[in-house]
Amino acid sequence: MIHFENVTKVYPTQKRPALEDVTIDVDKGEFVFLVGPSGSGKSTFLRLVLKEEKPTRGRVHVAGKDLARLSNWKVPHLRRRIGCVFQDFRLLPNKNVFENVAFALEVIGKPRRFIRKVVPEVVELVGLEGKADRMPDELSGGEQQRVAIARAFVNRPQILLADEPTGNIDPATSIGIMKVLDRINRTGTTVVMATHDAAIVDSMRKRVIELEEGEVVRDQSRGVYGQAY
Amino acid sequence: MRAQFVLSEIWIGLRRNLTMTVAVIVTVAISLALFGGGLLINQQVTQMRQYWDERVTLTVYMCTEISTSNTCQENGPATDQQRQDVQSALESMDEVSSVEYISAEDAFQDFQERFANNEAMVEAVREGDIPDNFRVQLVDPSQYEAVSSNIEGSPGIDSIYDDQAVLEQFFGLLDGLTAAALTVAFVQLAAAALLIGNTVRLAAYSRRKETGIMRLVGASNFYIQLPFLLEGAIAGLIGGIIASGFIVAARFLLLSRIQEWFQFDVTLSTGSLLSVIGVSLILGVLLCTVASFLTLRRYLRV
Repeated sequence: MIHFENVTKVYPTQKRPALEDVTIDVDKGEFVFLVGPSGSGKSTFLRLVLKEEKPTRGRVHVAGKDLARLSNWKVPHLRRRIGCVFQDFRLLPNKNVFENVAFALEVIGKPRRFIRKVVPEVVELVGLEGKADRMPDELSGGEQQRVAIARAFVNRPQILLADEPTGNIDPATSIGIMKVLDRINRTGTTVVMATHDAAIVDSMRKRVIELEEGEVVRDQSRGVYGQAY
Repeated sequence: MRAQFVLSEIWIGLRRNLTMTVAVIVTVAISLALFGGGLLINQQVTQMRQYWDERVTLTVYMCTEISTSNTCQENGPATDQQRQDVQSALESMDEVSSVEYISAEDAFQDFQERFANNEAMVEAVREGDIPDNFRVQLVDPSQYEAVSSNIEGSPGIDSIYDDQAVLEQFFGLLDGLTAAALTVAFVQLAAAALLIGNTVRLAAYSRRKETGIMRLVGASNFYIQLPFLLEGAIAGLIGGIIASGFIVAARFLLLSRIQEWFQFDVTLSTGSLLSVIGVSLILGVLLCTVASFLTLRRYLRV
């Protein structure tokens, strides 16, 4: 599903590569933790998958497509197959839960009837049933992140990228978030989650890819966060 | 494409930057009004020129007893033979389309009719004050020089007078006005384009959260940019409509005054007024849309 082949990324303003000769294969339906300290290249990895950045060297394949050959105007279609969740939720403060989730479908031109049917299903899937008309500032951090996950998942993407989704949330609530992500993973969606949260990684026992200074130093199925941290 | 969604985005955008939107509309309106005014004057001048080109004449005044020019003083009043010579010389020229002899009597009568509403003028001039003359119609009015130099100095001719010399001053003034209006209009249009650029940049900034999310969930570039483009286009359109009001006012309040100076109809047709308005509106919308588009390419990375 995601295939990196000897990928190196050097940002124009920096000498040290953000990613150096990285080769990673993520299969369909996998759940992968991307771990490593800040600046180890986790975010760059995610940006390359979204084609927000182009690799300096090497090839990136996502959902069967060679991103180097994907013309710019087709990038939106690639992104429709990828859901994204961030540490800071990125909800629209002037829209309620339903509208925030529906926004993702509205802007890709889905018909209203379809939106009315699908959005409540996803809101229920992330455990927010009965809260569809709440505004984001009336929700807890964990609930806001659930809304963000619902929005990322409502278009049934093949891949869900999560960049430290539990970074702003207390450990108890994080467990709930992880359950939602696990539930999404069980529907066949590939999940890649960048995180610092050792407790979560250790408890989930999923594949762990560790990056350090832009290189893959560990790729372990059913791994843990690692002793160094 | 959901029309309602796009429309509500535009409405929110226009309201959020209300002061900037107003500034854009005013600038666009003023520049387009000047632009349309320039076009209007230009059309008016073209129309009057066409009228005159058909009627412009060369008048050859013959010597009389009271003529003051040197040739007349030396040789006395023109003889019938000299009149015939001048007439046949004029008629033989290719540039001349017709020659009409006006006797002193006819010239006086014509004068009285023309200045019938100006008693002082009528009373001051007596029969014989206006010399007999030839009214020469030219095939091409610009050939004036060739014709006049050809017969200049022939015996019996007092002076040669060209209508166009006077008209050119008048047209020169109007041409100057056109050029000035168009210059100011283009400077204003440039200012309007920059203002629109700024407004769109502000709008893009204040909506960066929305556009960021739209980008992430895979909205097409067109869909993300459309509200901004339409915002620009609508501001341009409103400016254009206000400008149209100014243009119509200019046509009926200012240009219609020109009519008072003429005995013939120089009024601009409704068709040319509409074409001026149409060109201004299209220019306004186009300018705003293009300015928005160019700004978006810089500030709305997609």
